[in-house]
Order: sequence, then structure tokens, then C-alpha cells
Amino acid sequence: MLRKAIGKSIIFIILVVFVISILNSIFIIKTGHRSKLIEGLYNHTGNAYDVVLMGSSHMNGGIDPNVLWHQEGITSYNYATGGQPIDVTYYLIKEVLKNHNKPIVVVDLYYLGLTDEYGEEGYVRNALDNINFSMNKLVAIINCTPRQDRKNYLVPIIKYHDRWKELTKRDFLYDTSESYFAKGFEAGTDKYGKEASNNVLTTGIIDLPPKTEEYLTKIIDLSHQVGFKLILINTPYNYDSTSGSTNWVEEPAKMFNKVAEIAKNNNIPFINYNDKLSEIGLDFKADMNNSSHLNIWGATKVTADFGEFLKANYSLLDHRSDNKYAQWNIDYSHSQAASISAH
Amino acid sequence: MLFNSIQFFLFFIIVVFVYFALNHRMRWIWLLLTSYYFYMSWNPSYAVLIATSTIVTFLSGLLIDRANGIHDQKKSLGLKKLWVFLSLTINLSILFMFKYYNFFSTSIERIFSYFHSPIYIPSFDYLLPVGISFYTFQALSYTIDVYRKDVKAEKNFGRYALFVSFFPQLVAGPIEKSKNLLHQFDEKHLFDYVRVKNGLLLIGWGLIQKMVVADRLAILVNTVYNNPSAYKGFEIAIATVFFAFQIYCDFSAYSDIARGAAEVMGFRLSQNFKSPYFSKSIKEFWRRWHVTLGAWFKDYMYIPLGGNRRGRLRYYYNITAVFLVAGLWHGATLNFIIWGALHGVYQVMGDLLKPIKDTIVKTFKIKTNTFSYKLFQVLVTFALVNFAWIFFRASSFTYALIIIKNMLYFNPEVFINGSIYKLGLTPKDLILAILSIGVILGVNMLQRTRSLRSKLSKQPIGLRWSLYLSAIVVILIFGIYGPGYNPEQFVYFQF
Repeated sequence: MLRKAIGKSIIFIILVVFVISILNSIFIIKTGHRSKLIEGLYNHTGNAYDVVLMGSSHMNGGIDPNVLWHQEGITSYNYATGGQPIDVTYYLIKEVLKNHNKPIVVVDLYYLGLTDEYGEEGYVRNALDNINFSMNKLVAIINCTPRQDRKNYLVPIIKYHDRWKELTKRDFLYDTSESYFAKGFEAGTDKYGKEASNNVLTTGIIDLPPKTEEYLTKIIDLSHQVGFKLILINTPYNYDSTSGSTNWVEEPAKMFNKVAEIAKNNNIPFINYNDKLSEIGLDFKADMNNSSHLNIWGATKVTADFGEFLKANYSLLDHRSDNKYAQWNIDYSHSQAASISAH
Repeated sequence: MLFNSIQFFLFFIIVVFVYFALNHRMRWIWLLLTSYYFYMSWNPSYAVLIATSTIVTFLSGLLIDRANGIHDQKKSLGLKKLWVFLSLTINLSILFMFKYYNFFSTSIERIFSYFHSPIYIPSFDYLLPVGISFYTFQALSYTIDVYRKDVKAEKNFGRYALFVSFFPQLVAGPIEKSKNLLHQFDEKHLFDYVRVKNGLLLIGWGLIQKMVVADRLAILVNTVYNNPSAYKGFEIAIATVFFAFQIYCDFSAYSDIARGAAEVMGFRLSQNFKSPYFSKSIKEFWRRWHVTLGAWFKDYMYIPLGGNRRGRLRYYYNITAVFLVAGLWHGATLNFIIWGALHGVYQVMGDLLKPIKDTIVKTFKIKTNTFSYKLFQVLVTFALVNFAWIFFRASSFTYALIIIKNMLYFNPEVFINGSIYKLGLTPKDLILAILSIGVILGVNMLQRTRSLRSKLSKQPIGLRWSLYLSAIVVILIFGIYGPGYNPEQFVYFQF
């Protein structure tokens, strides 16, 4: 009898877990971040991309895979999600590497400035809720979220069940492929209209907050262990945009000088686009969406420069004439970059 | 550690696995340890109180037993009465100190200050120990049962300590008499698949009652009762009816989870609720509502006072006294006393008015065995119970008066102008709340005539499992739990 009971219980528990996993996918909020991660992590695998772009919103609207494709024939995907702390980025890189064979990994380092131990819940969820359950996700939850919230990340229905009142057809029939053509990139179309107020050059150096330094080191170590090429960047933004914030380093410019030092010591390229504004012809007033984020015109300029850097320093094939990549040309024709260049 | 928490879920799984893995003779030790752990998870220092109660009543049992052996009848009886008296005094004194001292001391202060001679009685700062009224009554039942020779004195202190502290029913009942529960700790409980499954079903039903129904109704009830002067007429009537079902589902849920958890391990606890809102009289209501407390008061207070065998006046006195004390048992406030008193008065009035009622029935030739007449009785009883609930729920006597005053107001427009959606529940939540009350009543109705669990067990496995999975889905989706979800937290304005 005991054996029968155990057998039945196991089958029942499996059914319950299955039902919960279906409920989770229905109830998790359907942001653009969800569709891009599902597409980039699980629906397009193998050697889909030469380059993967990681980070927070600065990267999300900073480097455009469609421009990299159009100008250099490089395949890439933008995995950045809004407000993504650097510890989450580390686990997301690991998730990407599970299904993608040693692409060049580009990480935007804006979030190194976070001094809180954990990122904001909504932002962390942008990434973690949309990663399939695995040991990597479990470890990410343990290390990137406060203790009392962990069960809610592990079983998202605990967090989202009250959405039963607002569920729509989209929650049940969510088509993540709709926006795949953008390859994870999305930039604003506003124009900031102001100069960068205080981005004066400085040679000063300050330490990174302990937790973000730990995770930057982990990312560097991971690149050595796995053997992928790592590039660190900082997309243009007004350093003043975080001034007065209680959970951010006071002088990001000095922090990035420290990053440059770390990168140099580890023989890893670091491009701080804030130091290259005039070189790439970036006009803060016209090329920024707001004080922190590039707009589509600025992103195109930064991407163009970054594409040249990739071409010059890495042996990447130009796939544009390869028939296997025909869809990339079609995708480009739908992209934001194509629409602005048409005007 | 609340029953509807992940902590309890994990605790229970561990307890059950180890329980069945252990040798039968060792199991009571495991249950005793885990029961104390369960109790101490609220506040470790409470353990001292429950241990004191346990030691006192255990010793009373042994001493009464020894007194039984004395040949001199008079001396034997005298000693036995002394031990009962001491056990009652010590236990009730602890209960009084922790639950009632401050209420009585401030009441006395108020009375004195009313007569312009203020006095000061030092207050006693403490946290009300969880479940103290429940376990104290359970422990006292043992002393009295041994005195009455309904049970033999327990010789094994550990096993007796388990009877007082058994975790499923420790903090909110059912209050078990020693003659029902104590001997069960000697039984050998095998792992019985059907029994375990039945226990889990009861736990599941309890979770639905608590998380889906009671806690949802509570949102509306709290909105209105915490600010009664802002609401009128139907708004208060809805909140009061909702409270009737909230407290029923909450308490019934707790009892069902307790019974289910015990049943998984092979213990049979008493049923505490028997479709109470289908009662046709207040008397019947008390045979269906919190049955184990009613039985306790009947056995250990009402019958010893003489019940209804010493004349009408004495009967009325006994009923009123029992219900006043029962009211006070629920908490040290004037409102609980009024609530208890109302239930006493209802029954006395019911008895006094019976001849008039009979005359009306006879004169107008009203058929009393028709559905409509029974429904009328059920509704009248429900209305009386509801009126008393106002005092039970209101935060103070003043609030209760505001509620009664504001309720006497005819405002049917609240159903049309959207006011009922401003009582804390969204339109969809309100519909769900009303539907869930319907489901509870439906299940209660079916439970009156048959055992739903045995009926269910005869259905094909596909249907049963679909039902179980649906129940889990209902709890997960419609339960009130978790950290809450604020859409704004997720609206990330990137641009």
C-alpha cells in the first residue's frame, strides 16, 4: 500500500508542479522584456548570434543589433532589461551561454553604481521572472533577491495571482515572436534638448560598491573560465542623473576610471562612450531621449562606432551575403533604425 | 506559525514523515517535541504557561486518583474536591491574569472614578498567550473527568503533556475532552492511504474556506467596521452578513485543518461546526456552532448548575450565566459579554415567547413542516445571530452603537450608484465573494445529509484528481495571500 501511495503521490505532485508552471506563465506580467528574453534565450539557440548585448535600460536602448547587421553583417541580440542590476546580469550571461556557443559578450556597466544590496523588485523581476527554472535561476534568486521575497520569485504565482482580475486574451496566447525582428532593442524617439550638465573629465578614482565589484569580477572570471570574449562599455548618459540618489555612487565618472583600471589589468576592452561624445559626433541635445538614455538617433551613432570597433578588433564574418541570414535583412526592414533612415 | 503559511506546510510535512518513520512507541515523544516547537514559534516564553497548566492538571489527576484509594469516603471526597478546586483555581488564575486582569482592573478604576474617588490599580503588561483559553479548558476537562471517573489518571507525564499541547488543536481547538483524545495517543496508527488522503482533503477544504472566502470577506468587513460612521444602511448590512460568513469560514477552516492534520496521523478530533447557519433556532445554532466549546460548557458548567431540571427561573439563570461566561471566554471586552448575553437572552426569550408563538401557529393554522416555514425560522435565527455578531466584531461598544444606528437607514441606491464597490472589494472581488458564500452554503447544505468525502471517494480517479487540481488552482489564484501585486511596480517607463 505504501508503495502505491508513494507512486500516486509522486504523479500527483508532478501534475501540481505542471499546473503551477502553466499558471506562472499565464500570470507573469507580459512586458517587452519577457518576450525578448524568451525569444533570445530559448527560441533562438545554437550559434544564433556573434555578439550578445547585456545590461540595463542603457543597453536596451543603446546598441541596436539591426544596425550592427545592416552596417557590418554582424549577428547580435540585445538581452538588456530595464533596471537590471549587475548581479542579475551575471546570471543572465550564464543563462545565455547555456544555449549560445561562446558569443562575444558586451556588458553595459551603468548599474555598477548601485550601492543597495539588491535591485528594485520590479526591475529584478523583468529579468528573473522570464528565465526558465534551473539551478542557475535558483542560485540567481538566492543571490539577487532579499530572503523574504525568494519564494515569490521561485513561484511567481504567489506574486501575481491577484492579476486574475485583469487577465486578457494576451496573457493566455502570448506570442513572443511578434517583436523578434527588433532583436531585443528598443529606443525612445524623444529629444532631450539639453547639454550634459556636468560630464567634465576627471582623473579621480573611487572604489566600486562591494557587491557590484564582486559581480564585475565574477563576470571577468567567467569569461576566462568559459573562454568567451568580453567587452565592457558605458553608453552615454548624464552623470548627474543619479545625483542625490541614496542608493548610487556619488561620482560615477570616478567609478568608471576605476573600471578602466580593472579592465586594463585584466586585458579587457572598456569603451566609455561618455568620453567619446565628440569623437562619434554625439550631440546630447539631439541624440539623447532623456538625461540617461540614448534615443534612436543616438543609439544608431553609438552602434555604428561600436560596429566598427568589433569589425576592427575581432574576426567576425560579414553574413549579409549569406542566404541563410536572409531573414535578418527582412527584420532590419521592420526595425526602428530602418524607419528613421527612410525619413 | 499560521496554518495557511509555508512554514506550517514544511513543518507539517516533516512532522508527518518522521512520525510514520518512527517506531510506534517513540511517536508521542516526537509529537510532544514538535507541538512545543509549534507553540514556541509564537513566543518561546509561552511554553512556561502551558507547561504549568500541564503540571498542575497532571498532578491533580494523580492526587485525585490517590484520594480514590482512601477508604474513608468523606475524607476521600473532601480531598478530591480540594484537588479539583486547586487545579481550577490555579488554571483559571493564570487565565485571569493574562486575559482578564487588565479588563477588570480598568473597569474597577472606571467605576471608582465615576463615583469621584479614583483609584489606581497597576496594569500588567504582557502579550496574550496564543490559545490560552483553548488549552486551559482542555486541561481542566482532564481534572474534572478524572474526578468524575470518566477517565483514569494518566501515569505517563509526557503523554499527558502531549494531550494538552497536541499541535493541530492547540491554539484554536477543537477543545477535546480527555476521554475523547487521551487514549488515542496509545493507539498504533498505521499509514493508511485512504485516511491520509481524507485528512489532506479536509486540510484543502480548510484552506479554501480561509484563503479564498474568509480573508476576502474580511477586506470589506474591515473597511466598514473600522470606520463605521462613514457607512449606512445596506453597506453596514452587507458588511455584517459578510462578517457572519467571514468568522464562520475562518473558524471552520481552522477546525477543518486541525482535524485534517490530526487525521493524517491517525487521530480523530471532534467536528466543531455542523452547518450552523441552517439552524432553525438559537438553541440549535449552539448545537452546530463551535460544538466543542458548547459541549464543554454544557458538561462542566450548565449541567452542574442544574441545567433545566431545577425549575424555569433557575433554567433561565443557568442559560444566561453560561452564555455570559462563554462571551467572556472569547475575550475581555464589554462587547463579548454583550454578545454572550444576547445569545442567553435570545434563548430565554424564545422559551418565554413559545406559548405566544404556539398560539399564533394554532390560530392561523400555520403549517410548521413546510419548506417556507423552516426557511422563515432559519432566516430569523440568522438575523438574530447577525445582530449579536455586530457586538462581536465592532472594535468598541461605541462603534457597535454607531453601527446599529447607521444600519437603520434605507439606501437601496448603493446597489446602483457604485457605492458597494467602494467598500474595499473591486467589482470582480465582490462577485467572487458572493459566489463563494453561495458555494459555502451549498456545501453546508449537502453536508447536512451526507459525507461528501466518502461520496467523492466513490468517483472515478479522473474526476477526483481534476477536482483536487481545480481546488489547488482556486487557492493559488483566488486565495488572499502573498506580498500583493502593485502594477505600478512593473510599469517600467524606460522612455
